[in-house]
Amino acid sequence: MFYKCERHKNRRYAGFLSAVLSVLFAVQSPVRAIPSAAECIPKNAVISVEIARPKALLEFFTGEKVTKALTALPAYKNLTSTPKFSELQGIIGFVEATLQADWRTGIAKLTGGGVTFAVCPDDIVVLIVDAEDEQMLGRIHEFFLDIARGNGYGGEVESGKDVTAWTFDGKSAHTIIGKRFVFASSLDGLKAVLELRDKSGSENLTSKPGYQSARRSAGADAAAIVFADMTLLKYVPEISSLLQKSTGNPLAALAFAGIIEAVQNSSRLGFGLHTAEDKLILDASVDGNVGGAGSSAAFALPKKSDQGVMPNLSVPRRLAAMSLYRDLHEFYAAKDELFPERTSGLIFFENMMGIFFSGRDLTNEVLAETGPEIRLVAAEQQYDASIGRPAVELPAFAAVFRLRNPESFKAVAEEAWQKAIGLVNFTRGQQAMPGLIIDRPTQGETKFTVAYFSSADAENKAQLAQRFNFRPSIAMPGDYLVLSSTDGLARDLVDALNRETKSPPASLAGTHSEVEIDSSQLASILEANRMTLVRGDMVKKGKTQAESEAGIDMLIALTKLTKGLKVSIGTDGRLTNARIELGLNLQ
Amino acid sequence: MGAKDASREEAAHIAALEDLQDPGWAWSEYKPSVSAPWDLARVGHLYRRAGFGANWAQLQEALSQGPGPTIDKLLQPQGDLQAFEREYAVYEGSAMSVNDLRAWWVRRMIQTPHPLLEKMTLFWHGHFAINGENVKNTGAMLQYVRALRGEALGSFRSMLNSVCRDPAVLLGVGSGASRKSMPNDNFAGAMLESFTVGPAVCSQTDVSEAARAFTGWFVLRGKVRYIEREHDGGVKRILGQSGNFTGEDVVRIVLEQDAAARAIVTKLYKYFISEGQEPDAKLIAPLAESFAGDYNILKVVETMLRSNIFFSQAAYRGRIKCPVDFALGIVNAFEGMVSTTHLAEDIAALGQDLYHPPTIRGWPGGRGWISSATMAGRSNLAWSLLGGSKPYGERLDPWAVAQKHGASSLESAAEFLVGLLLGDDAADGDCETLIKTVQAAGGAKPQEQLRRFAYRITSLAEYNLC
Repeated sequence: MFYKCERHKNRRYAGFLSAVLSVLFAVQSPVRAIPSAAECIPKNAVISVEIARPKALLEFFTGEKVTKALTALPAYKNLTSTPKFSELQGIIGFVEATLQADWRTGIAKLTGGGVTFAVCPDDIVVLIVDAEDEQMLGRIHEFFLDIARGNGYGGEVESGKDVTAWTFDGKSAHTIIGKRFVFASSLDGLKAVLELRDKSGSENLTSKPGYQSARRSAGADAAAIVFADMTLLKYVPEISSLLQKSTGNPLAALAFAGIIEAVQNSSRLGFGLHTAEDKLILDASVDGNVGGAGSSAAFALPKKSDQGVMPNLSVPRRLAAMSLYRDLHEFYAAKDELFPERTSGLIFFENMMGIFFSGRDLTNEVLAETGPEIRLVAAEQQYDASIGRPAVELPAFAAVFRLRNPESFKAVAEEAWQKAIGLVNFTRGQQAMPGLIIDRPTQGETKFTVAYFSSADAENKAQLAQRFNFRPSIAMPGDYLVLSSTDGLARDLVDALNRETKSPPASLAGTHSEVEIDSSQLASILEANRMTLVRGDMVKKGKTQAESEAGIDMLIALTKLTKGLKVSIGTDGRLTNARIELGLNLQ
Repeated sequence: MGAKDASREEAAHIAALEDLQDPGWAWSEYKPSVSAPWDLARVGHLYRRAGFGANWAQLQEALSQGPGPTIDKLLQPQGDLQAFEREYAVYEGSAMSVNDLRAWWVRRMIQTPHPLLEKMTLFWHGHFAINGENVKNTGAMLQYVRALRGEALGSFRSMLNSVCRDPAVLLGVGSGASRKSMPNDNFAGAMLESFTVGPAVCSQTDVSEAARAFTGWFVLRGKVRYIEREHDGGVKRILGQSGNFTGEDVVRIVLEQDAAARAIVTKLYKYFISEGQEPDAKLIAPLAESFAGDYNILKVVETMLRSNIFFSQAAYRGRIKCPVDFALGIVNAFEGMVSTTHLAEDIAALGQDLYHPPTIRGWPGGRGWISSATMAGRSNLAWSLLGGSKPYGERLDPWAVAQKHGASSLESAAEFLVGLLLGDDAADGDCETLIKTVQAAGGAKPQEQLRRFAYRITSLAEYNLC
């Protein structure tokens, strides 16, 4: 009995032992963990694009709201009546039948695990798609293979590994491993990917510190991540030439200060795309150092961590606004280092400034009078019916500077401005063209100066000449200097600055540039100039009027689909970060 | 040079000498014959001279209809010219600069239902050659070309009177003000020496006296105004006539001179028939006599276009294409529309900047169009138009046009292009050589090969001759 019992007990122990051992062996056996797609990309990849959350993007771009907005576009409705649209519908129907699912579900199941694309040296591109539905992947692969066979390709190629590989066109090669589709533009490219899959621990894209840094900057919740190896990209002649050109132009150097230097000094560029409710957010970062003594971008870098640009000014009918942190005095003092080959334009500018500012030193006695906060505003104009309306309506634009010594400098600025108007009048008079009339109106408590053309003799006040878009004005409310192309915008800015003075906003710490574009106002001015744009498009592109009208209408409709764009750029000296927010109008 | 070319050149030379000795034969209406058949070469010649080239359908229609009906069509607008003018009045009226006007004019030349009218407007722009840089007024430049177009095939007398009151012309020649205390010679000099009788007929005294007749005319704020107190009311002696003349009298007096009609007819002869040599006075005389009677431009142009001499070997390929003819010949042949903003710029780079003729005498033309730089420029422009890349893109597609007209292989398409662009003028073996060159250069698609083939044709001397 005891024996029987022991035997029974031993059998139970043996079963238990066997189970434990199996588990242990299973744990300890060298079963390969499936490497991530990025781990299968060679380390020498120059650019990689990873769509980490395809479903989020799919939901965003093909969701109910976007679909409703897009299908409501007149351009879309026109498109649906074309034969090409019917052809496209037929192809989609056929693919859906093959997938046994509608196209949205099909794309979701085919790409749900992620999509990774990389460009490597020697013109090799790699695409890795992780599907959720292995059978569906097999069906779509067979579908494309059939097409390739119809063109005389579609056969197997030797992968050199334990997987079957095919080619669609005789040059590229691809394989399917479980739910993963791997494509390379050449067989060598595919072999490189398969080699990385087999040899865990080998150096791959994820081993690159630049890539790791780009991923961290993009954030864990990014729907898509882009990485570019700038060390290699800077050898591309077009990119190298672009970076060189930007540094030779004083205006570009001023506007893009900090950005050009950051890209020039960077080893990597990264983007992270995020989706939010009715909004797309793109976070970009480069690791180029722009700080430090002697930096050519020092004039654009806030000196303290709590400094940065002022928030953009808000005025009625605002189209766009830009707020920059730029110390003009520091910028111009370094002009010989920044622009060793002085352009004739720069020399002309200095000569003219010498005249306007009565011989004052431009660097130390003019630009030093301005603070580093520069704000630019563009707004749609409203036209006074008694004056008339130009045939082509241009937006008004203005620059706002903060003065360091307003009491002493206001008269200097006013004198320079009136001299400039005088020069314009004299030059136009020499050419028998009408000149500007100077007036001194008041806005609130601010007396300002405007120069305008008289429309009294105009034959058609509904089709005035382009010059009637301009009523140059100078206003100096409080500590600020406003130079505006129209008195209307000058008045709005006086009001905005007075509001700001009463309750000063905090500056945007660490940000040196911020741009905002208001789409509804942009669409409005595009609509106001629709026919001018259409005619311009006709001769510039050789299109018919109907083709150009369709294109411009599409542009207006797409503009209306967006709420606005906001770009903020800042740096901590080591990393330069940019955030681009595109708001969508999906109501 | 092939045997075919040599014999053709010799025949052309002999024919030219014979034709020029017999004005009666030269200006008689051309009737097709065995020695001068109505063929693709002559149809192409007509469309190049009376328009800006033709597409295949136009060439074939003309071939089947014969010279008479084809010339009838060219003399009259084909389509609703008034509607076209209304449409372009809006387009051109919205131009914000002279360069915009230039782009619209090139587009107008491509789309016009009356190519001869535009060809003649271009002729008059080269005759009353006003440079927009001197005028600095887009509206005035538009009005000036509109005025030229309005009388381009009308009355030279009306045109001359209109020119005297055109602000762009007065500003363009530097005659914005002419006071009796200081008569401005510029306009009077242009009127006598360049626009009408020529320097051989008038003296500096005639110019100075004519300037007195034009005193009192000013351009003020873009408009021409007459201020009577500034007019010199004294007696002037101009080209042998004396009197208290005004500007209108100057126009009357110059048009009474045989030399005026002779100068215009000679210039038209060089424009439509042959620019190589100065035509014999005997040859010009009958047309000049007729022209002096009523100064009817259409009548003299019609006589020229219908004439034996126009279709003779003396005229055939007897002109070097101006840049406008070179570029628009390609665009029209391939039935497309391209960016005329770019095209006008490219044409300007080849030496024909519309709205900006270099001097009051217009473009020198002829051999003046050709230099090593402009030949390289023509080649680059042809490739830009036909190569399928920026800035003109794929708007011109030789393969698609060849297929549309029945070509199905590279060889048949190549033959089609030779007929379309050269009127079968290619020397023996040229076509085959070109095809081989293009094939040797590689490129699998016939579309790409034909682009290169068409480009090569435009590089031939024959294509560059009008």
